[in-house]
Amino acid sequence: MTIATPLTHVSSPAAAPASAALELRGITKRFGGHTALEDFTLHVPRGSRTGIIGRSGAGKSTLVRLLSGLDTPDSGELHLGGENLLTLSPAQRRQRQARTGLVFQHFNLLAQRTALQNVALPLEFAGVPKVKREAQARDTLAQVGLSGFEDRYPAQLSGGQKQRVGIARALVTGPELLLADEATSALDPETSASILSLLTRIQQERDLTLIIVTHQMEVVRSATTHVAVLDHGRLVESGETGRVLANPQHATTRALLGAHQPLAELAPGETLQQLTLPALDAATLGRLAALGGRVVEAQPTVIGGRQQVLVWLGVPQHLSADRLLGQLQPQAEEVA
Amino acid sequence: MTLDPTVWPLLWKATLETLWMVLPSALLGQLLGTALGVWLTLTRPGGLTPNPALFRVLDAVVNIGRSFPFIILMIVLIPLTRLLVGTSIGSTAAIVPLTVAAVPFLARLVEGSLREVPAGVTEAARAMGATTSQIVTKVLLPEALPGLLHAFTVLVISLLGYSAVAGAIGAGGLGDLAIRYGYHRFDTATMTVTVAVLLLLVQLVQWLGDRAEHRADHR
Repeated sequence: MTIATPLTHVSSPAAAPASAALELRGITKRFGGHTALEDFTLHVPRGSRTGIIGRSGAGKSTLVRLLSGLDTPDSGELHLGGENLLTLSPAQRRQRQARTGLVFQHFNLLAQRTALQNVALPLEFAGVPKVKREAQARDTLAQVGLSGFEDRYPAQLSGGQKQRVGIARALVTGPELLLADEATSALDPETSASILSLLTRIQQERDLTLIIVTHQMEVVRSATTHVAVLDHGRLVESGETGRVLANPQHATTRALLGAHQPLAELAPGETLQQLTLPALDAATLGRLAALGGRVVEAQPTVIGGRQQVLVWLGVPQHLSADRLLGQLQPQAEEVA
Repeated sequence: MTLDPTVWPLLWKATLETLWMVLPSALLGQLLGTALGVWLTLTRPGGLTPNPALFRVLDAVVNIGRSFPFIILMIVLIPLTRLLVGTSIGSTAAIVPLTVAAVPFLARLVEGSLREVPAGVTEAARAMGATTSQIVTKVLLPEALPGLLHAFTVLVISLLGYSAVAGAIGAGGLGDLAIRYGYHRFDTATMTVTVAVLLLLVQLVQWLGDRAEHRADHR
């Protein structure tokens, strides 16, 4: 996976290299005055398990909607299997993108259909005869460990089982690309782990390309070979997961890595201050630095259903800590 | 208060007339109302095929249709009824205004049921490559089936009520019997029996509807 720079996509108008399952070049998507993705470039190696991580609002959902064909970018190129989809007619494009298997956070199963009928649904849309599509759906359900659950309705399944049905439905058309959008976010940790290992196993057995979109670094750490970090609609860092996690270059990556790896030690003469910020982006870091504070640790968290970042600051004793925090965030708390 | 035994054949005939007015209207109303409800759902802002201008027209048609008192609607529709049935009097003629009243009523109920299908589910279908008609026939309508059955139950019961009004202007049926014998002739016994039959019909329809809805609901 290459670290994208604005120059690489400008200077290479040719088709995507064969090693790329998916390539986005200079993608921009705006909603009204808000830019969701800006000059976004991403190269997903064929056969990889690529994590796309970012906080809420970073552009993940927009990216998923573009990749699943629900939205069209304002500009840029979207290469899938070496073909620029954005030059195709909407109908052709939908047909190509239907070959990408999608796994959703809230499963999106049809409540009035059995597990088997849910898995068979994409084949039904494609016009495959009933006997054939049900046989295929049965096989695929077996592959996700749900033999014997064919006739259960979603309401009769656990969260993990529902997600297995969701994965089977994504696989039944035999896709080369599987896109899991926050697929474990609605599940408890144990179930999450089993779903991630199932996705990993399937990726290896079927030799397909897996994209895992998540806001949890733990998911990236445990299930991916490559990672791309999004912030404010831009790619800020990407590469092999092991390398990026061992030596994160960007503040966002470090913030997402969380409290397991303190960013810095507290220097002598500094006091520790904790505060909660909606996001730890470059602008906020700049303001903190200008005020004399230094981020020593950061951890993403959810407060009142909203994504927040807990930040620990080292503040020189000679500075009035109260004044500094007052300028940033009124509800900052002193912990030390 | 004694019941004249000659009322039983009349009651039987009136019941059949009521059913003959209500059931065809309910079926036609369900068919056309579902289509209109689907159309409203598709064209509304944020729908699968948004069309604000068309949506405003459909929405206004439904609102106007629903705000007409039924007795006025019957009178307004007399020319249409004569055109379709040849007469504006009798049970068969009442099917026309009953159906016209049923369509917007049901369209609104259908629209509500369809809105309960989570947006994520229809988007998932779209991402799987489903066409709009596939989303309607294979996702929206089957997923909303319990709500559609409930709407049908409510419709039949409302039409039973409307049919009594239709009886007042020459359509026959149980309402007509209750008014002519019970009200004009001060025959309280006949009135009571007639109302009891209407009540039983409503109970029966509600019971059958609840049963069907429960059996169809896998959520």
